[in-house]
Amino acid sequence: MKKIVAAAVVTALGLGVLTGCQSKTDTKEMVLYTWEGVFPQEILDGFEKETGIKVIYSNFDTDETMLEKLSQSQGKDYDLVIADDYIIDAAVQQGLVAKLDKSKITNFGNINPLYQGQFYDVNDEYTVPYGAGIPLIVYDPAQVGFEITGYEDLWNPELKDSIALTANYRVINGITLLTMGESMNTEDVSVIGEAGAKLKELAPNIRLIQDDNTQNSLLNGEAKAAFLYTSQVTSAIDANPELKVVYPKEGLGFGIMAGFVPSQAANADEAQEFLNYILEPEHYKECIEAIGYYSTNKAADSIVNENLVVPESDIKGEIIQNVSTEADEAYNKNWTEFKAACN
Amino acid sequence: MKKNIQWCHIYLAVVLVIIYVPIVAVVVYSFHSSKLAVGWSGFTLDWYKKLWNNHGIMEAVRNSLILGVVSSLLAAAIGMAAAVAMAGRHSGSQKFMENLAMMPILIPEIILGMIFLSYFSLLHLPMGMVTLVIAHTAFCIPYIYMLVKSRLAGMDPSMVEAARDLGADGTRAFWDITLPYLMPAVLSGSLLAFAMSWDDVVISIFVNGPRLNTLPIKIYTQIKTGVTPEINALCTVILIITIGIMIVANAVRRRGQATLQKSQQQ
Repeated sequence: MKKIVAAAVVTALGLGVLTGCQSKTDTKEMVLYTWEGVFPQEILDGFEKETGIKVIYSNFDTDETMLEKLSQSQGKDYDLVIADDYIIDAAVQQGLVAKLDKSKITNFGNINPLYQGQFYDVNDEYTVPYGAGIPLIVYDPAQVGFEITGYEDLWNPELKDSIALTANYRVINGITLLTMGESMNTEDVSVIGEAGAKLKELAPNIRLIQDDNTQNSLLNGEAKAAFLYTSQVTSAIDANPELKVVYPKEGLGFGIMAGFVPSQAANADEAQEFLNYILEPEHYKECIEAIGYYSTNKAADSIVNENLVVPESDIKGEIIQNVSTEADEAYNKNWTEFKAACN
Repeated sequence: MKKNIQWCHIYLAVVLVIIYVPIVAVVVYSFHSSKLAVGWSGFTLDWYKKLWNNHGIMEAVRNSLILGVVSSLLAAAIGMAAAVAMAGRHSGSQKFMENLAMMPILIPEIILGMIFLSYFSLLHLPMGMVTLVIAHTAFCIPYIYMLVKSRLAGMDPSMVEAARDLGADGTRAFWDITLPYLMPAVLSGSLLAFAMSWDDVVISIFVNGPRLNTLPIKIYTQIKTGVTPEINALCTVILIITIGIMIVANAVRRRGQATLQKSQQQ
């Protein structure tokens, strides 16, 4: 036992020394901070081979964790963050984001301008969009007796007990508001209340609400129609090309995943080199097809899987933004009551 | 009477099915050629190849092993020392210490994670393996403390007294008598602590550094893009290793018992 304890102490000390030494190495590197699986291994390897820069892939679970860790380190520690639009807005406001040096990102012009100038980065100074997430309706035409063209059709009594729904409370409230001709980001509590009443009428049609692998219920026949996240839409279509994707006529609620360089990043140049690398159409194609998001890279649109390019005529919609506390509470209340009504 | 036994068997079968079918499903789908866990479209070993080539995941496995072993051993040393030191004390202070020692289990993990994060930032301690080991050791200690404490309660004090009577000093009596007696509790506590450390996400995600990932973090942070069958493959590998360890441990124990019986016969 003496030996075991001694060994444990020595190992712990040794590890401490090792971790202390790691930052003093001379090789070029950059710390990438995002969810696991956002970049295929081939891209990370290819980038290291081409530039000699080693990518250290660090993960967070939610946007909020990322913001907390970034503000604790005051914008140090990480060189490139890929996260969602609304949290980037918060990070910019806290002064945690550095302005990009566009002379280093020669492929900046490849970005589709439709996804630029958004609320979190009005002048395109801080971010490079990486992909767009657009929840869409997918249905099985063999099982549904009518054509679904918009969110409103989900309320059709013919779909009784046969819709699978993803579980983002703002998005579900948002599509209800869209059917009423309102904004997805309305802060008018009485309008939100009306949306809540309408949402409850949807409950009899709901078969299940879940976030993980929701498309499976459509593929195994449990649900006839589903409202799915982008990557789920793609994998559903891949597995069963007979399914139909609907770009709802009321408009799309989309979100953008984008990259930014934290304000005190030690390897900002390397991070921008990486952004430039992934904006290259062939590299971008590999990335976007791996994660199954919609392309935000115009130069790559002609070569990526056509399912991942939103037809230009269909791009009209809104990004879900942060709303006032009262409005958020009202949205939450709608959601809780809706879920209770579904059971 | 016979009928009862049959009902027992059926009940047991149902329980086993409920527990083990999901595990079997994971193993089966690790050989599934499609990414989706629906139906069956062919056999493949691709996920194992992909897993092997994914240095991110392999490195995370290594980190998790180091973290689990180091923090459970440290927790074993600290937790056992605390239990032994508290054994002879006044019952009031013992109760107080016990409550204090249980705190890391009672505080919600997310709060503990936040506390560690702001504490380490305050100390300007660089986030990494060191902070992970400190945090994991802290929440592992109670498991060992509790197990050792209950084993100590059943120990006959006359054994140590006899050793002292025969001329051993306190230290010697501890190493020769108390420690071997406590060893089963320390070992099972360490195994429990290792399991806690091995699957912790919430605390780790707050205190890990930019250069380090543990396996649960890798798996958990896939929620954005969907968990891939590579993870099924990894689970299968871990399952096989676990079963292997169990078989070896059983074999070693049986051999140990056999030699013990032999020496008793002689």
